Amino acid sequence: MTELRALDLAKLERELAYYRRECNDLGARLLRLQEEQSQAFREARRSRTVAKLIREAHRLSDLCATPEELGASMLEVIVENTLCDRAAFARHEPSPTSPDLFRVTHAIGFGSDAPAEFATVPAAPAFFLTTARSVIESPAYELTGILRMPYVLWAYDRASGHALILGNHSEANVSRPFESGDQELVEGALSVYIDVLARKQSEIELRIAKATAEEASALRARFIATLSHELRTPLNAIIGFSDMMLPGSSYRLTAHQHAEYAQQINESGRLLLELINDILDYSSLAKVAPQLSLVWCRAETLLGASARELSALAMQNDVRLEVRRGEPGLEIKVDQLRFRQVMNNLISNAVKFTGAGGSVTVSARQRPDGAAELLVRDTGVGMRAEDIPRALEPFQQIDGGHSRSFPGTGLGLPIAKGLVEAHGGTLRIVSAPGEGTAVTIMLPESVVRIAELPPAEPGAA
Amino acid sequence: MRVGYGRSPDPVAAVRQAVAALGTAADNARLLMAFSGGKLDPFAVRAALADALGPVPVVGGSAAGAISRSGSGYSGFELGLVAFHDPDTAPQFLVSRGLEVDERKAGADIGAQVRSVVRQDQVVLLLFDSVASTQPPKLHYASSIVAGFNEAVGNAPVNLLGGGLLTDMNMSGAWVFDGDGVSKHATVALVFPPNVSAETVILHGCRPVSAFMEITRIDGATVYELDGEPALKVIERMLGLPIGGGRGQELSLVATLGQKQGDPYAPYDEKSYVNRLILSADANTGSITLFEPDFEEGALVQIMSRDNGLMLDSVRRGVEEMNRTVGGHDNLLGLYIDCAGRASARSGSSIEEAELVVRGLDAKVPLLGFYSGVEVAPFDGEHSRPLDWTGVLTVLRRRQ
Repeated sequence: MTELRALDLAKLERELAYYRRECNDLGARLLRLQEEQSQAFREARRSRTVAKLIREAHRLSDLCATPEELGASMLEVIVENTLCDRAAFARHEPSPTSPDLFRVTHAIGFGSDAPAEFATVPAAPAFFLTTARSVIESPAYELTGILRMPYVLWAYDRASGHALILGNHSEANVSRPFESGDQELVEGALSVYIDVLARKQSEIELRIAKATAEEASALRARFIATLSHELRTPLNAIIGFSDMMLPGSSYRLTAHQHAEYAQQINESGRLLLELINDILDYSSLAKVAPQLSLVWCRAETLLGASARELSALAMQNDVRLEVRRGEPGLEIKVDQLRFRQVMNNLISNAVKFTGAGGSVTVSARQRPDGAAELLVRDTGVGMRAEDIPRALEPFQQIDGGHSRSFPGTGLGLPIAKGLVEAHGGTLRIVSAPGEGTAVTIMLPESVVRIAELPPAEPGAA
Repeated sequence: MRVGYGRSPDPVAAVRQAVAALGTAADNARLLMAFSGGKLDPFAVRAALADALGPVPVVGGSAAGAISRSGSGYSGFELGLVAFHDPDTAPQFLVSRGLEVDERKAGADIGAQVRSVVRQDQVVLLLFDSVASTQPPKLHYASSIVAGFNEAVGNAPVNLLGGGLLTDMNMSGAWVFDGDGVSKHATVALVFPPNVSAETVILHGCRPVSAFMEITRIDGATVYELDGEPALKVIERMLGLPIGGGRGQELSLVATLGQKQGDPYAPYDEKSYVNRLILSADANTGSITLFEPDFEEGALVQIMSRDNGLMLDSVRRGVEEMNRTVGGHDNLLGLYIDCAGRASARSGSSIEEAELVVRGLDAKVPLLGFYSGVEVAPFDGEHSRPLDWTGVLTVLRRRQ
């Protein structure tokens, strides 16, 4: 009986051992299956990074106003999906001193730690990663330095110069270390970034081009409308008065009327000629620069000549026109004829827009930086700051009470500006309503000099 | 209690979004609880909160991620806020430091402070820095903190809940908002007034995959032998692959050691297991180091496998149970303290279990959750204890 019980016990122990072994074996298989399944899901999540980037690309592109903003938003998506600790976009920076220089354009995950601005990566590889077995030599040394993280994953697109780098504190980050299979992920993410960036840049360029084209179209429409008006007005006068003066006309003109109408026809003809000359001038501005005949001439002489030419107009308008004496030897290298045209335009404009009793002063000086500054200042009606850009457009005498009450083609300022720019200079207007206007021409140092003056003759005062 | 959520790599923008979501509660907040993603600069977040809300104390700290009805994630850029604006339900907060010196003592210190202010049955939320060091990886043991706390609290009527704070799933760091600023190695206790009660469910997700094994050699959190064999060898045999060296940390993704409470031969019940995640493995000594040092020599344990299907079922069941319990009450806040390992990026779960909580919990309950390193909750009708691989879902409500 005891023997039987001992046999039963032994059998039970064997049975227990069998079940324990089976339990552990089955449990181990379950554990491995569970882990394989989890790993598959984790890998799927990782591989969805690029798909998500592609899906999000349009949204990000719409959300971001500039291409520069795209980088941060895309890094956010990359970090969220790969769960890396830090990430950055870098761009190859052409530099004569260091051909391997990269600039970190966007970085994420640094918290209070500031990312590096520049990094040198000798012979930057297209793809690279570090693991615990990596030897810390170039390029591992430089790449880990970018994110200050020991484990990095890097992709570089030589054609565009853009690079993406991901980094982790610990090797077994969340699920596993970086491995060569991650090449697709990092290169895919970089490609999406480059594509979206290019698309965003094209989109912005297209928008600018569209706005410019629309503005040019509106400007041309305004130009043609104004031009038609400006041409018709004197032509109508010429035709109307000459009709009345023609033999067989039903009008019985007195000698005085005859003379007056002939005068009107003459003035209209001259105005028309002036207008046509200005239009031709304006339309040829683009090709005027190569045709300039540049010679050194005394600034004071140039300003004096223009002032003298317009002194009659000034007297007629009861405006005091004064040329202030500047540096006697100041010379500028300009096309004399064209620059006289500029000064004449500016001075006549100043006289026209200055009421009786006002004044116009003209001066020239050399600035401390060597440039020449030519100034035409009046005490006239002036204009609002927002109207100044329009004053520089053709036929854009400023709207308002006095807009068309001043004679002229409305091309004077645009032509003057175009000619100054053809000389390599700039034209700037400062003005305020009721306080007058100051037009400043700046000529670069390269066309400015102070000439030696001939010694004064004995006895000269 | 109002909840706000924001997400941005820019701390100021994240704060702006989260504060905007608080609505008028932001203007009257008496205390703010904040869980900030680990990639956000804590000092910048704290400064931005001060700019937005003025001199309101802020408690909480880093989180591997945040969970809310208006967004969830664990990219490290999330920010979850709770504004306590009603003086009748706002908690008072207490702070203890010195976890790096002695975790049990620091736990006892905060426990003594709690005991001195507790009058009736009161809910206490304990938030603490989970990471002692990263090289080598070492946690602040929640079991020591909670043991110290329980000793000091004694028989005071306290319903203790809590979570360990982390910056990310790799346990790279942690920090605490301690009311005034940002601290390391600190513990914060929020003591709710007696008119606030808590209903809690613990959501699990592990099942045993081995027979019972006896811990035959252990030192603190490091288990050297199971049934007389090197513990690592046992685990490696189960997994069918070598784990030692740098890959030790990966073990926390795969298996846990579970201790069954009560009758070991009773039918399987997820609620009867206390699980311990594996922090690291040492191939030289054949040992594994657990998240907590509260298992003892002679204890019977089982190797447990995470089971994502079971985890999702557990969440569905737990949320339904919670809805049945709190339905029709004056619910103030749903708080979900969710082990970071349960997130799909780490567990490999096909869907986010936190999403099931967000979608399943009664929509009238304001909800905020955070991804934690360890969870603390009342277990098996006894004192609260730290748990691994769980989700602790609590609804705070006005006591009737």
